Formats: sequence, C-alpha cells, structure tokens
Amino acid sequence: MIRILLKRLLELIPTALVIVAASFALVRLAPGSPFSSEKEIPPEVRQKLEAKYGFDKPLPEQFIRYLGNLLRGDLGLSTKYPQRTVNEIIANGFPVTLSLAAIALLWSLLVGITAGIIGAIRQNTVWDHVAMTAALVGISVPSFVLGPLLVLTVSLRLHLLPPAGWGDWQHVVLPGLTLGTIYAASIARLTRGGMLEVVRSDFIRTARAKGLSESLIVWRHMLRGGLLPVVSYLGPAVASMLTGSVVVEKIFNVPGIGPYFVDAAFNRDYFLVMGIVLLYAFFLLLMNLVVDVVYGFLDPRVDVS
Amino acid sequence: MVVLLFWLKVIALKVTLGRCFALLFIAASLQLCGCQQQQSPYFGTVEPRHGPEELWINNSSEPEWLDPGRCSDSTGGEIIWNTFEGLVQAHPATLKPLPAIATHWDISDDGRTYTFYLRPSVWSDGHDLTAHDFVFALRRLVDPQTGSKYASNGFIFQEGLAISRGDAAVETLGVQAIDTHTLEITLVDPLPYFLNFLSFYSFMPLPEHLFQDLQNRGIDSDLWTRPEYVVCNGAFRMTDWLFRQHMTFEKNKFYWDAASVKLDRIRVAMVESATTAMNMYVAGEFDWPGGSTSLPAEFMDHLKEYQDFHSHPYLGVYFYWINTEEPPLDDPLVRRALSLAIDRDSLVQFVTRGGQHGSADLVPDGLAGYKGLHIPVYNPVKARQLLAEAGYATGQDLPLVTLSFNTSEGHKQVAEAIQAMWQQELGITVELANQEWKVFLANAEQTNFQICRMGWIGDYADPYTFLELLTSDCGNNHSNWSSTTYDTLLEQANQQHDAEERLSMLREAEAFALHEQPLIPLYVYTRTQLIKPYVRGIWGNHQDRHPWKYMWIDESFDPHDVMVGAGKNVFEDGQVPQ
Repeated sequence: MIRILLKRLLELIPTALVIVAASFALVRLAPGSPFSSEKEIPPEVRQKLEAKYGFDKPLPEQFIRYLGNLLRGDLGLSTKYPQRTVNEIIANGFPVTLSLAAIALLWSLLVGITAGIIGAIRQNTVWDHVAMTAALVGISVPSFVLGPLLVLTVSLRLHLLPPAGWGDWQHVVLPGLTLGTIYAASIARLTRGGMLEVVRSDFIRTARAKGLSESLIVWRHMLRGGLLPVVSYLGPAVASMLTGSVVVEKIFNVPGIGPYFVDAAFNRDYFLVMGIVLLYAFFLLLMNLVVDVVYGFLDPRVDVS
Repeated sequence: MVVLLFWLKVIALKVTLGRCFALLFIAASLQLCGCQQQQSPYFGTVEPRHGPEELWINNSSEPEWLDPGRCSDSTGGEIIWNTFEGLVQAHPATLKPLPAIATHWDISDDGRTYTFYLRPSVWSDGHDLTAHDFVFALRRLVDPQTGSKYASNGFIFQEGLAISRGDAAVETLGVQAIDTHTLEITLVDPLPYFLNFLSFYSFMPLPEHLFQDLQNRGIDSDLWTRPEYVVCNGAFRMTDWLFRQHMTFEKNKFYWDAASVKLDRIRVAMVESATTAMNMYVAGEFDWPGGSTSLPAEFMDHLKEYQDFHSHPYLGVYFYWINTEEPPLDDPLVRRALSLAIDRDSLVQFVTRGGQHGSADLVPDGLAGYKGLHIPVYNPVKARQLLAEAGYATGQDLPLVTLSFNTSEGHKQVAEAIQAMWQQELGITVELANQEWKVFLANAEQTNFQICRMGWIGDYADPYTFLELLTSDCGNNHSNWSSTTYDTLLEQANQQHDAEERLSMLREAEAFALHEQPLIPLYVYTRTQLIKPYVRGIWGNHQDRHPWKYMWIDESFDPHDVMVGAGKNVFEDGQVPQ
C-alpha cells in the first residue's frame, strides 16, 4: 500500500513540471505588463522595477531561475503587493480558504447525506419530494444569488450575523452556507441515487433475510453502497470549493486566496499567478489520489494497486 | 418559489412537523416585513457600535505601498495623508495650503525659490524632525534606485528629471537644507500651484534615522512601513496591519498638533466590493465606507432619498481619447462632429446616475479660479453639418470606427449609450471592443486603438494637471496629437507671474486644443458618500481629501430627533480650521 502511494506521489512530479511550464508560458504570453498603469511611469523607473524582479532577463533564463527558486520553496515576490512574498500571501490566505471550504464541506455532507437518505428510504413520499425539490433549488441557485439573499435576510433584516468580514465564528457561517449549499444539493441527489441502486441488490436482500434490523441495513449496507458516487464526487468537489470560493470570498470579504485566482491574472502578478496555480494543481492531484485510496476502502471490488 | 410554497402547503396539511416549519416560515416573513414598517430617514443603523473615541471606516483595498516615496495609489495615499505631515497641509474644505511642519515661507521674486521655516517637531519615536528629513525624502523620490512610480512628481524640482535619468547626482537636487529648520526648494518653473501640490503624499518627510537603523540591524528597509517598525510624524500611527483585512491606527501623541486630534483610534478595513461595503455600513460595521469607495450606480436613485447620503464634485474627468492619425478620425471635423453628437446631460442623468456633471470641457469649471470654456455639450445639427463638411454627407459613408474600453459594467453602459447616440444622430456605425485592463493599458500606451475611454484624476487643484495631458512630450498623451503652438502657449503660461493672466493663457490653450478635439470630454466626476449622521468633521472637497484629525463622534446625536435637524449635513458642520 505504501509502495503504491509512493509510486503515485512520484508520478505527480512530471505532471507538476508540465503544469509549471505551461502556466509560466501562458502567463508570460499574455499581453500587458505588471507595471503598466494609467499614469506613465518614467522609463528609467520601469527598467529598475523590471530588473528587481528579473523580468529584464531572457525568458528561458527566467524560467530556469524560477524552477531553481521553486526547489528551494521560494515562490518569488508579488508585484502587486511589493512588500510581500508569494509564500507569505499564500500562508496568510490559504488557511482562511481551507477553513471556509471545511465548513462548506461539513455543511454539504451533513445536509446532503441526510436529505439523500431520507429521499432514498422514503422514496416517492412527501419527504422524498421535499428533499429532492430543495436539492433542485439548491443546485439551481448560484452563490452570487444565494450569498446576497442570505446577507439581506440573516444580517440586514434579522440582525443575526455580520454581513461580511473575518475573524469570529459568526463570520464563517454565511459564507460557509453559501459555498456549501450547491454541493449539499448534488450530494443529496447522488446519495439518494446511489442508495436506490443498491436497495434492490442481492446483498441487501440477504441482509434482510438474515433478519438484520432495518436501521443496521440502512447504515451499514445501503449507505456504504450509496456513498460510492459521493466519494468520487468529493475529490473534484473539494478542489472546486477551494477554487470556487472566488465569488463567495468577494461577497463576504473573506481574506482567502480565492480572489487572487482572478485578480493576480488581471494584475499580471506573474509569480503570484504561478504560486496559486501550482497550489491548486497540487491540491487537485492530491484530492484525486485521496479519492482513489478511499474508494479502495469503501468498495471491495476496487483494487488500488 | 411556487413549488416550494406548494410543498410547504402539503407539509402543513399532512405532517405535524411540517406545521411547525410553516409556522416558523411565517414568523420569519412577518419579522422581515415588520422591519420595513417604519421608514428611517437614514440608510441602516444610526447607533454607533463603538465608543466615541473610535471610528470605523473602509479604505477599499490593500494599498501597494504605504511609503510616501513609492506610493502611487489613492488607497495608500489615504493612509499616508493621515500618518505623515508635510511642509503644508490642505485645508479640509477649501484645500488651500495651510502651515503644517513649515510655519511660514518666503517666495523669491522670480517665483522659483521657496524658503520654508520649519517648526520644532518630532517623529513618533521622539526623534527630532529636521529639514534634512525632507532633503532625504525628496532625493529618494527622484533617485532611479528607488524605482518610484511617482518619481515624475519630483521633476518640478531643479535637476529632478536629470537625476531620475541618471544624468546628475542626487545631491544636485533643488532641495537643500540651509540649517536644521530651514529648507530651500528651487523649482524648474515658477509654478503657481506649487504650494497646493506640496501637500501631496509624495512630498512627505521620511525618518532617515529609521532607514539607517534597519540597515544596521540587517532588516530589509523596504519593510519600514510595517507596524512593528514604522516611524511617522502625522496625526495617527499604525499599530496593527492584517494583510487585506484591516489596519488599526492610534493617535500619535508626538504629533505637533495633537491637541486638535479628537479620536483615539481608527479602524480601517479593506473591503473591495462596493456592495459589501454598503451592507457593512447598513449593519453599522462602518461609520463611513471611505472616500475611495464609490457607491454602486444602480443604488443611487434609492440612496439619494436618505439624509446620510452626500455627494460632491471631484477633480476627475471622464473622456475618450481619439487616435488622430488613423482615418477617418484624422480629420478634426469628424472628431468635433462626434463630440457634438453626444447628449451628455442624458448620459449623466440616465446612465451614470451618480450626479456627475456633463461637460465637453477638459478643465472643470471653477478649478482654482479658472473660468471654464463651456463648450456646448450637445448640438446634433451642427454635428451633422461638420460631418458633411468633412465629406461624409451621411454617416453611413464613414468607415467603421471601433471604440474600446476596459471591462467594466459602468464603462460598457457609457460606451453603449454613446454608440447609440452616434448611430441615431449621425448614422455612424461604431463597434465596441471590450478589453481586459492590462491589455487595454498596453494598447493605450502604444495608441493601438481608434477611440478609447480614459479617466484622469487631477493631482493638484490647477488647470495644468489636465492641460499637461495634451503636451507633445507627455507620456500620458495617447492621441498622437501634438502641437508646438499648444506647447508654447502652456510654457509661456507657466512662466507668467500674474495669476489672472496665466489662467487666461491656459484658457486660450484649452480652446485651441479642443478645437482640434484630440479627445472628447464626457463628464466631470462626483464622489458619492454615505456617512453616519453621528460622525462630524468631514467636508466634501474636489480632491477627496478627508483628514481623520478633524473627525469626531457626536454623542449628542439623537436618531429620534430628526424633525429638529439632527441629521444636519456633516459636510457643513464642525469647526473648520482657520
């Protein structure tokens, strides 16, 4: 098992190299410069700034330099926030984005799986219809609609939670709900579908024939089968919670790294763009690996090796 | 919604638990409606969420630099203006230069040499502030080693430009310390707006001793503005800085005018989204969403109804550059026709909606005593006539013209309105090109466009800040238009000692340039603000400078006392320094 994990981890290296090269090329091919502004910067000053970041060197040399720094764990300096290194910016923002995603994930699993189970065991009853209608609404309402609606009702009318900001537990609730709801809805549908698929299979019939209690059948046998599609969905879902927090972080002014995903590219903040892309790529690859491993545990038919 | 209500109905009828849900839902709805029963004259809560010694504001985004010599954005400027103090300070209402670190000054007969006499004052670490701190700061501003984006502000000093190009030593700069408390500044031209410009954040003194200290300790001196190191001489000192979240400032007890500072603490958040900032204002998390946060245009009609809404003119002009070398826009008649066909009054009334002032002039009327040209803002008949004179009897003959703007809902709406006006009045087909900001800037720098939108914010209250845009050697002139007549007119005006005479020469230059129409001015900016009615000591001015030192919380404000004028305009209240 450990050997397999190591092998999979080693395979990440060439993938990561391709990602670095491709994103370096793409970001540098984009027209415009980090130092262009509405007001003209004297040419001597511009040269000085370019030299500071090494942008005056030929591109291949810059790339090799970047790779060298990367190996030492140095992601470079930000041009937009010249007093901060990219490492510092990510270290500041990533824990925030992670905790937001964790709350969203918790919320989506809690609500999604509960609704999914209710839908499956009470198939075609009022309960099932309510749960699945709610899921349909949840999937259809984008976060930029849900977020402001929650702010309007919960913060501005009912005065229960602050409308934006970061620091207290109260600040986490609304962005967490906004980010998690769409995933909760998908999880509910996947859980219900997964459970309904196994509900008529032989091993459930065997369990019933053995005289197991209904709750044991639901929890131990049906849910395990029902969760398989959810697990494979969670990998990309966690990755997209991390990357998809852009809008939510803007609405609630959460100081995570979501907004950089867009802003750093707009600002041509080369090293910050690279840093963020690498971080997300790493997480995406890692999540896929984790999903494969978890799958092996949940489904005896899957052989991780 | 209908589906949801249907199911709620089903639950209420069939299931007991469901009845509880329905009741909860109804209770919540009633609560929501209940809040709207009584219309308050203010937008959001008017109960301060903190003590009277504190103020909570917003500064829209994380500043690039808080270093006066390197800062080039308004969010950094806002902080610098309140943590540093230069030779002069701008009056918070009129912006006229008032004594600050300099108590008085002499001006030479030729108007080029200023001698400033400094008051004894200290930095926030108790260290003496001397004329040498100004010399150090201004040399550093123009020194190419600094890499300041606003180095050009130092080109007004003798040898500033040469030093920046590496052609002269920094010691030759026209800023010299005569003794510890006397500073002599020699200018290239006798600029009549110099004292006004001198309150700009680029010209603040710097604590040279701190730079040396950091270097001795092996700390990167670029980090000197971080709260753990920073030494300043303004009304407030930063004590806490959470990247992209908020900053905290406390009253600087070493400030020379500390007796006038009313607040002990200011919390400055960095909320970029205007809508989010507005929500936080409603909830009382901001007393003032800040000078640099514009309110969303779509809320304007609604917000105007409230007593805590304020608006004032702002020293900025929105205009379209024209590439004067590319046919058919190389013909001034066509360019003038385009300008005359724009109904600017409708544009500001129905599209921008923020109380902007439609204008076809480049220099805002009344700026530092300047009498605006008052070019007609709309004359479609004359526009058609000019177009016919240029050889395009019907607009359809005119080759396709492209109008580019950077991606933004506001710019898009303006461009679409103007596209429609040109189509309707002149029959011209205009294509819109929407470009991402840095691509747009790169194209503007290379004049790679036919018509492109731009805005220009004046750095100082003088017509020259706008007129300079059209000079031949101005790096911000993107029109390909240049005229020696125009350059000479401006040069002669800046040599002129008589202020009235100078303004009339500048006026002549503006009229000359706008007859050629290398750009099409559209409107003069306004700033719209929300300020809690218990906040006092903020005045509206056209450079959006709002010193925190005059601000205070009025504890006697009673929200229930509206009828007797409790909601008086903060812009007219408070004591204006003499």
